[in-house]
Amino acid sequence: MTTAARDNTQARITTRPRPLINEYALTAALFLLPTFAFLFIFVLWPIVDSFRLSLYKWNGVDPNLTFLGVDNWTRLAKDSVFWRALRNNFIIVFLSIIIQLPVGLALAVLLDTGGRMFRFFKVIYFLPLLLSTVAIGILFKYIYDPYFGIINATLEAVGLQSLTQAWLSNPRIALFSVIAVICWQYIPFYMVLFLASLTGIPQELREAAYIDGATENTYFWRVVLPLLRGSIITAATLSLIGSLKYFDLIWVMTEGGPVNATELMATYMYKKAFNSFEMGYGATIASALFIVVLVTALTVYFPLQRREEDIAG
Amino acid sequence: MKTKITAKSVVIFVLAVLWLLIAFVPFWFMLLTGFKQSLELMTRPVWALPENPIITNFSNVLANRFFRFLTNSTIVVSVSIFLVVLISSMAAYVFARIRFRLNQPLFALIIAGLIVPIHVTLIPIYLLTTRAGIYDTLSALIGPYVAFSLPISIFILTQFMRQIPYELEDAARIDGCGPMGSFFRIILPLSRSGLVTIAIFNAVSLWNEFVFAFVLTSSPSTRTLPLAIWDFQGQYSADIPQIMAVLILSALPLIIAYVIFQEQLVKGIMAGAIKG
Amino acid sequence: MRRITRYASMLMVMAILLAAISACAAPVAAPSGAAEPAAPGEAAAPAAGEVSFEFWHIQTSTPELLQNAVDRFMADNPGVSVEVVPLQNDPYKTKIKVAMGAGNPPCVFPTWGGGPLYEYIQAGQVVDITDFMQQDGYVDRFVPASLSNVTFDGKVWGVPVENSAIAVVWYNKTIFEELGLEPPATWDELLAIVDTLNENDIAPFAMANKTKWPSSMFYMYLVDRLAGPEVFAGAATRSGGTFEDPVFVEAGQMIQDLVNRDGFVEGFNGLDIDTGQSRQLLYAGKAAMELMGSWQISTMRAENPEWVAANLAFFPFPAIEGGMGDPSNVVGTVGDNFYSISSVCPYPDEAFKMIQYLIDDASVAERGAAGRIPPVVGFTTDDPMLQGIIDLIGNAASVQLWYDQYLPPELGEVHKDTMQALFGLEITPEQAAAAHEEAAVKFFGQ
Repeated sequence: MTTAARDNTQARITTRPRPLINEYALTAALFLLPTFAFLFIFVLWPIVDSFRLSLYKWNGVDPNLTFLGVDNWTRLAKDSVFWRALRNNFIIVFLSIIIQLPVGLALAVLLDTGGRMFRFFKVIYFLPLLLSTVAIGILFKYIYDPYFGIINATLEAVGLQSLTQAWLSNPRIALFSVIAVICWQYIPFYMVLFLASLTGIPQELREAAYIDGATENTYFWRVVLPLLRGSIITAATLSLIGSLKYFDLIWVMTEGGPVNATELMATYMYKKAFNSFEMGYGATIASALFIVVLVTALTVYFPLQRREEDIAG
Repeated sequence: MKTKITAKSVVIFVLAVLWLLIAFVPFWFMLLTGFKQSLELMTRPVWALPENPIITNFSNVLANRFFRFLTNSTIVVSVSIFLVVLISSMAAYVFARIRFRLNQPLFALIIAGLIVPIHVTLIPIYLLTTRAGIYDTLSALIGPYVAFSLPISIFILTQFMRQIPYELEDAARIDGCGPMGSFFRIILPLSRSGLVTIAIFNAVSLWNEFVFAFVLTSSPSTRTLPLAIWDFQGQYSADIPQIMAVLILSALPLIIAYVIFQEQLVKGIMAGAIKG
Repeated sequence: MRRITRYASMLMVMAILLAAISACAAPVAAPSGAAEPAAPGEAAAPAAGEVSFEFWHIQTSTPELLQNAVDRFMADNPGVSVEVVPLQNDPYKTKIKVAMGAGNPPCVFPTWGGGPLYEYIQAGQVVDITDFMQQDGYVDRFVPASLSNVTFDGKVWGVPVENSAIAVVWYNKTIFEELGLEPPATWDELLAIVDTLNENDIAPFAMANKTKWPSSMFYMYLVDRLAGPEVFAGAATRSGGTFEDPVFVEAGQMIQDLVNRDGFVEGFNGLDIDTGQSRQLLYAGKAAMELMGSWQISTMRAENPEWVAANLAFFPFPAIEGGMGDPSNVVGTVGDNFYSISSVCPYPDEAFKMIQYLIDDASVAERGAAGRIPPVVGFTTDDPMLQGIIDLIGNAASVQLWYDQYLPPELGEVHKDTMQALFGLEITPEQAAAAHEEAAVKFFGQ
């Protein structure tokens, strides 16, 4: 086997005849096989099928489907509930990114630099992620209860009666009430993600920075943050996608109500597919959701990732 | 290293404690309620301490097939995590380290996999499961669980692996190491923090996974923990303290596992850092 | 050499994995026919000659009522084994659709009758059990009103089993006594009570409307009291009626009037009935009444028996002066859960026999003891509150099935959404009526 003159990180699947199959290509194919096998069977095929279903009217239980062409899609374009849901999804995107990521990062930094005292904190901080959505839904329904909940009770106790609200019932604030809970649930996720990245930063860098006269602040903003760039892009992309396809907590706490105030694309799809016996239209919503998220995610992720690679060299 | 008590550190400490409370208060409510009777929850202030604490909620749960559910959950989640870590690390290695023409389009497919809402897949997967004759068995769950955990795991691991310095691999290549060797000897050990991270995330979400568990199983002996609350929920009512007991007992194994494994997380980093 | 063995072992692992996966990857076609059903939900292969099938139900709070009946059936019919699967209400709705959509439903499954059942019937998924019911006059066992929800095209498609449940106004008699109030006979009297309660800082009606159907009860009663059941029936079956009939609009106006009078607790559209958020208000004395189905008795007794014994009473929904509907009419269901047989079931005879055990005399006695009202003729109970409900049903000139059960599911959803908006004062009564009509026109094509 020759060891010399092999290009560093290139695996070229070329048409040039080669005596041996390129080792890298073989590894790539082999390593990717199980992933794509699983993905195609369980994940990707159903979404393709969902596009097919969107062309039909189907109640889900009848063996017969009625072909509709693009009627479902024209209906979707005019569906004000769908557009409302889309808007709500983007509100979640925006608020999730500006709240969950910074707080998660702050907590991660805290745990990373805080020392042994914070080991106990770390377990508590992680707890919200461990709870199932059902649990969180029930808990926060009690917290938000206008009569018995702790929020209104505390507000009244400190004399701020006027601020008490029907947190989940007022259409104007219901969405934000649920978003607060989503943040509570997912901040630990970003905390763990960033913490894992932070602990990968060698101590020598910090020592070197101090030797060069950097303060804690400059160390963080000029050394740590740039090193975390990749993690931040990953986190932002995950948050984006997660927020756009979000379903769980909204469903448990408000079912998309009251009066579609907290409706999301995924809850709307679920209602149409499983409650209204309108599987075809539900498939249309699902397909539209897929397109929206895919386009958004790809336009955000790849450009950012490429810049990152350019910078990292 | 002396810790100076500055105004800034006080503020930070206060904020840290504040978040501690915010994170913990709902748990406090869960614990509180688990020791109450339904009657007490309904009639006395919801946030009051239990007047007559009872443990029957917990004993009811434990007596009622809880250990069966626990076993099922443990089996399914362990097998799934093992497969996910193995398969996703292999795929992430390719995306992070092997440059080839299809790299980006295939990675886009991974992202697409992240996006698919699971309800869309219910009927096809149900069909698949019944035709394969594995309906109402634990193995039915493993396929979807692994498949839906792969995209996010690959996504995160790819990013972790990208951060490993190329020089290490170059050195290994000069010594005659091919891509496989590089993977097993260098990348994998150095990615330990990433591997543990995705193991934790997936364990948590699969432990609480509900939708596939209820669609693909029916008999109580194949059920997993999240379905245990059904025994305490009726058509028009729910025994909330009882449900709280179930949820606490369901979360406990996870909490214990996390406490044990987060030590691993730290140790793994240390090993990697020293080697680097 | 080592490299080659490593590749070889990797390849072997891949091959094994792939083989395993492709064994499971039968061509995944979207259901194009209910043909070739896998054995309907069998968990174990039956021995030769043995009959085995699945029975799903949603009585998760009292599963023993059904398990006991099935056990008796199996004891009397050796060679038949039934797997009973209790499922929670909401997941059940998804699971049954998935199972049907894949052509693999259980032999026996519950519905609430009405529109959703009709969807299954039209799709050919339900067995026509008219002949089974007629045999030996079995059908006469049941209260006549209970069969209307499962009778379509002159045939019977389900067996009424679970519970007769009608909506009445539950109220705290202690509060009423303290304030010198009497149960109202008319709507105007009710409004006077509402005002008095408000003056005393007690919310008149508790309501938890996150799931939207509780509010619908007011609307249904008002429409019925104003004009009788024909107006709704005419609109819903598209036989000369319309949802924009002035009666619907007037009902909407009365509702909004009630809301504006502070007739309800604060934040009702965000309260969840399943976690008891409306009942809590009653127990705490913060609200005095709740319009709810008669299952409320057993729910409240399980939660707070002392309070129920001391305070709970009910009165029928008041009449409307000048209204044309018979004030004895009730809104509700006689049967609640109806059990049907899926058409892919290979053992319809055995399945029907099993269903009969669910409502045989032993079962009826058990259900009565559990506070249910089985829909069988001649059922009486010593419990005065339950007997009161039974009398109300017996004397009712007609029983209006819940709209969201009567209507096709698509319209039922529109109705519930509209109710939540109406009560939330987000739309006008005219808009509510128009929304119903528009959805109906779109669905029925006329």
